[in-house]
Amino acid sequence: MKYWALIILGLCCAPAPGADAVSFNRDVRPILSDKCFACHGPDSVGRKGGLRLDREEEARAKLGTAQQSAVLDRITSTSNVKRMPPAYLGHERLTDREIATLRTWIEQGARYEAFWSLIPPQRTAGRDAIDRLVRERLAKEGLQASAEASRETLIRRVTLDLTGLPPTRAEVASFVADTAPGAYERVVDRLLASPRYGERMAIRWLEAGRYADTNGYQSDGPRDMWRWRDWVIAAFQKNMPFDQFTVEQIAGDLLPNPTTDQRVATAFHRNHPTTAEGGIVDEEYRVQYVADRAETTGTVWLGMTVGCARCHDHKFDPIKQKDYYSLFAYFNNTPDLGSAYNFGNDQPYIPAPLPEQQAKLDEMERRIAAVRLAVERAEPKERAAQAKWEKKLKADDWTVTAGLAHRTAQEEKFDGQRILEVGGKTAQYNYNDAFTFAAWIRPETKNAAILSRGEDQFEGQGHFLHLVDGKLRLHVIYRWSDLGMRLETEEPVALNELSHVLVSYDGKMRAAGVRVYVNGEARKFKVMLDQCMWPMDTKEPFRIGAGGGQRFTGAIRDVRVYDRALTEAEVGAVVLLTEQGRRDRMRLWFQELHAPERKELARLEDERRKYLVTVPTVMVMQETLPRQAYVLKRGAYDAHGEEVSPGVPAALPAMKPEWPKNRLGLAYWLVDRGNPLTARVTINRFWQMLFGTGLVKTVEDFGSQGDWPVHSELLDWLSVEFMDTGWNVKGILKTMVMSATYRQSSAATPELVARDPENRLLARGPRNRLPAEMIRDQALAVSGLLVEKIGGPSVKPYQPPGLWQELSGGKGYEPDKGEGLWRRSLYTYWKRTVAPPGMVNFDSPTRETCVVRESRTNTPLQALSLMNDVLYLEAARKMGERVMREGGATDSDRLAYAFGLVLARAPKREEAQMFETALRSFRRFYGEHPAEAAKYLQQGAAPQAAGLPAPELAAYAAVSSLVLNLDEAITKE
Amino acid sequence: MTRRDLLKRLPGGLGMAALGNLMGATGPHHKPRAKRIIYLFQSGGPSQMETFDYKPKVTAMLGKDLPESVRMGQRLTTMSASQLSFPMVPSKYSFAQYGKSGAWVSELLPHTAKIVDDLTFVKSMSTEQINHDPAVTFFQTGFQVAGRPSMGAWVVYGLGAETENLPGFVVMISPGGGGGGQPLYDRLWGSGFLPSRYQGVKFRSVGDPVLYLSRPEGFPVDNQRVFLDTLKRANELKLAETGDPEISTRIAQYEMAFRMQSSVPELTDLSKETPADLEMYGPDVSKPGTFAYNCLMARRLAERGVRFIQLYHRDWDHHGKLPEGMPKMCKQTDQPAAALVRDLKQRGMLEDTLVVWGGEFGRTVYCQGRLTKDDYGRDHHPRCFTVWMAGGGMKPGLTYGATDDFSYNVTENPVPVHDLQATILHSLGIDHKKLTYKFQGRHYRLTDVSGEVVQDLLS
Repeated sequence: MKYWALIILGLCCAPAPGADAVSFNRDVRPILSDKCFACHGPDSVGRKGGLRLDREEEARAKLGTAQQSAVLDRITSTSNVKRMPPAYLGHERLTDREIATLRTWIEQGARYEAFWSLIPPQRTAGRDAIDRLVRERLAKEGLQASAEASRETLIRRVTLDLTGLPPTRAEVASFVADTAPGAYERVVDRLLASPRYGERMAIRWLEAGRYADTNGYQSDGPRDMWRWRDWVIAAFQKNMPFDQFTVEQIAGDLLPNPTTDQRVATAFHRNHPTTAEGGIVDEEYRVQYVADRAETTGTVWLGMTVGCARCHDHKFDPIKQKDYYSLFAYFNNTPDLGSAYNFGNDQPYIPAPLPEQQAKLDEMERRIAAVRLAVERAEPKERAAQAKWEKKLKADDWTVTAGLAHRTAQEEKFDGQRILEVGGKTAQYNYNDAFTFAAWIRPETKNAAILSRGEDQFEGQGHFLHLVDGKLRLHVIYRWSDLGMRLETEEPVALNELSHVLVSYDGKMRAAGVRVYVNGEARKFKVMLDQCMWPMDTKEPFRIGAGGGQRFTGAIRDVRVYDRALTEAEVGAVVLLTEQGRRDRMRLWFQELHAPERKELARLEDERRKYLVTVPTVMVMQETLPRQAYVLKRGAYDAHGEEVSPGVPAALPAMKPEWPKNRLGLAYWLVDRGNPLTARVTINRFWQMLFGTGLVKTVEDFGSQGDWPVHSELLDWLSVEFMDTGWNVKGILKTMVMSATYRQSSAATPELVARDPENRLLARGPRNRLPAEMIRDQALAVSGLLVEKIGGPSVKPYQPPGLWQELSGGKGYEPDKGEGLWRRSLYTYWKRTVAPPGMVNFDSPTRETCVVRESRTNTPLQALSLMNDVLYLEAARKMGERVMREGGATDSDRLAYAFGLVLARAPKREEAQMFETALRSFRRFYGEHPAEAAKYLQQGAAPQAAGLPAPELAAYAAVSSLVLNLDEAITKE
Repeated sequence: MTRRDLLKRLPGGLGMAALGNLMGATGPHHKPRAKRIIYLFQSGGPSQMETFDYKPKVTAMLGKDLPESVRMGQRLTTMSASQLSFPMVPSKYSFAQYGKSGAWVSELLPHTAKIVDDLTFVKSMSTEQINHDPAVTFFQTGFQVAGRPSMGAWVVYGLGAETENLPGFVVMISPGGGGGGQPLYDRLWGSGFLPSRYQGVKFRSVGDPVLYLSRPEGFPVDNQRVFLDTLKRANELKLAETGDPEISTRIAQYEMAFRMQSSVPELTDLSKETPADLEMYGPDVSKPGTFAYNCLMARRLAERGVRFIQLYHRDWDHHGKLPEGMPKMCKQTDQPAAALVRDLKQRGMLEDTLVVWGGEFGRTVYCQGRLTKDDYGRDHHPRCFTVWMAGGGMKPGLTYGATDDFSYNVTENPVPVHDLQATILHSLGIDHKKLTYKFQGRHYRLTDVSGEVVQDLLS
């Protein structure tokens, strides 16, 4: 018990009651919030006994005075019945310290303060505020700042922080040797300009934006969002101001004449997980996606846990349930569905060509425009030529044959039993293949099968054209109930008369791409199921007069199957029931034979269409419909309460009337000068990135349950500076890393560690384990394996075999061959339900939800990974090669080189001795066991350098592995 | 601040790992009945109607539509919501009563039938979720959307572990029936917003049982000892220089990694198991990756002090061809699950080990898809299903709760998922309302905002 007391006294940040005036925000609110607000706070429904403690005027009477206070009576009561917080709800008594704080506060008049994070930040200090404010605070605490870190430590720290990779030996040497003033600043400027900077900054944003390469639920199919990832890298790299960065991601599509880039940016809010699980209720998931967008926006920009108000008014912060659904309403107008496509990007998505692809598309567009002009110019000539041609025409047997896959021209009679089977691949379509089915029919019954390629049973799988109660029906079915397309005409087709029926589908997975014609006239139809998005592979033949367990009675002739959707003119030309149709036929016929420009145009358009298929796409936000939003009672998707329109929480500044009432207005509001949160929350994340902990430790929660900032004045200064300099991200990062506070040595005395274990007071520099991606990237860099290339599709580095199969079956994970094995980790393929183990082991979030808090654990699995994962063994092997070839001739030179590569410093004498001893031991073993050396050097796909003796190399590989396993190697000092 | 946090911050080698993972954040709140739990999760939703929930009256109603008065407009999956009719189908398999307790068990589960007096049946389970992903996520994390810690993570967070040689939370997976089944997700044993050291460690049947466990080829143990000794000394130097307690934790974690390299192979070495014991688990026991093998492994893990042992057996999702799939699945699981209970009992471990068997939901009384003489299927049914437990202070031989004549609605003593979770935690000595973690300003718990301990289940 002794050290307990000692530690409690030693903790720096808690106030000593009585010694000083108690601050409501710092000292009192956390207690009230955590212990009282759940029943006596903002949530009007959950409030007990009519007592409200979050508002001064309503709490005043119960707070009373120190002599007579109902609140003090209750919290100090020894009766379990009377005592608050109540024992019957499982709560403990407040601690003596908490009670003392509340008592002092009441003695001092029980003054409330507006909540700090809702008051716009003010600049209270001049320049160099970081160091001045930190030092003032240290002086108050009787502490001193640490000396500046060594140059070696400093350059490794700042290079890792700003580029995510360690400095090269040459970079270290040059900085150490640069004694001219401004040497450090020159390093900082170089790093901020490095292309690696954008990649380093991107990864935390990818985690916040829950970016992944798969959908995330159940069967977790793939998606392609990497064009957005590359947009993020580029935006950081070119130092896009953070307000613009915000506006484009929240509402780039709503800007005037948005560029492709601005639309790509909106993929931010399509990154949420989606589900393709059979049998789900679509609306339930659609609502979940919208909620995810609202909550992620709350966490990333506002540091507000708005999700707490999804089912009821917020228990701790002034966010009403209605506020939640007003924020929700901004994201509620996109056309995406709850049931997502499982095999790629789902609607709405856009082509997002790479620059070279865009150039090629532009060139194609240019050529198409030129030919189109030629076609238009040639039209009068063409008409004349056609007239001449028609006069000479003898035959009259032409019809549309482009894409014609099958035709049964003659009339066939059906007696309700007969099946006419057609062999081959006729109509063997998948869900996303375009087609046209057409036939002349004279039905004698109201229920019949006209044609099919699918199971000959009710509700079977495949493509079917039926009459149901006389109405023409198209079924494209994977699973009858929920995966496929079912639609029927509003009007029936005549019985015992000859009618022409034609159905076309553009293959774009929506019933909107279907056209139905009866006797050449487009017919309205009713859609019964519109989920045509699952692959099918039927073994059944194409059948005429049969399908789905049904037969045909009557006659059928001229059955046609086209592997594409016919145009309206072509339909007329096939049916030939109108004068227009006949004219269209002649025109199409002539053009097919005698219009070279038209052919060229068609060829070019086809070429462009085919090329476009190879262009990457990305899912984006699109405002297509105003959809009424409601308060959802208890958060349930189908329990509509009050109607709500888009709006921001009432406790925050209001929207300006000139802003549009949509996502764009929301985006402007987020980055408006009057918004007290966005700059603070953003700055705080940057601080966390550099110092390991935010100035507000709860980077995701700036509310009353969150952490009180140790340096609130500093946070405000930085926020104002950030906004004043035009939301300049590189600028504010430079300000931070130039500070003496950042440049301090991270070594600490036991007293200081005990006093301030988390280094909140900043009496020393940061010392934190590297994030997952830096640990891997560093190993790749120092071994020379790293393949540096910005952007592109995600890659698949090594992963133990079988991880995907054992959870979800299928083909499983195929690692890349070649450079995909050695790219930076932010390009690693991210499957959400089975995240890359090497990343998750080192605390990467799984990307299933928005995560902004950096987490660092310390586990045996990390040790196993660093010692035995092929990735680190291969890196050690290649690093061993480098050490032998580049590190000089003696053991001590080479070991110094190895240290330099990873730690940016030379070994100390003791270290050198230890490592030389280990090296000799490994050398002896491999000298005696060359076969073991050969085995040890087999790790990974990278070729082995020629000319190095295996036993010696194995010994150096082992020592390199040892260096990579050092605590210092995986730590930023 | 918890005691654990305080200790973690102690400088100079008194960090958490130096004391081992032995300490939980809260420790037990009351005297635990179970020290550990083995959860035999049956993924996909096993039909209660073919296993334990005997409904003789349905036999006479074969093919008849489920009365609307029973269905009461409750939501269905969209897989069967568009069905024109809901023809009822009885179990194809006969039932009988067993043991002193007279529990009803289907002919598909002859081994389970023999141990019914050791089991506690809950016939009145119900869940809010109707599809696999949200339902299994709800069952394992208390919430249907990803992001919360799993039950095992909560338990090791609260109670810590009893061993320093193995992880406190181990997961094993076996493919069922036709070798597959519904997918599973890392989040089901993930740590959510708890520190990631509480996540379940998957013991695998292919490759290393634990990822990256094995030393590389050509790097024998003597080399590794040199490696680890050098590493330790170098890290100690660093500790002296920087005073960062994380370094002492890291030193300890490397030692634990080293211990795991011998404790895991020892765990999977079955040479000391008696033939009689092996036989009890059935013929699959010698095949790694089967449910039988995993059940035996579960007992061995339990013996070695692992706190939370989670098995998943996949492929109970019988929308169609139930008469083909169900016997296969029962055959794979019946004998091993029963053997595990018997084995724990014969070793005197059943008293302080809680075994739980069950899936994420039940299945409908009505047929999904085509109903023929030999074939039928059942859709997901969240309104009622059966779970059994054994040991850990549960009342043996008890059948708790009941359903209507159609196994459609609970008629007696409903047990929602959060109640089951609260009861499981209670058995482990944890008050589910007190095992909380503050995240985003809220004190989260496994049972979200509900959950009552079902006292009637406890002896």
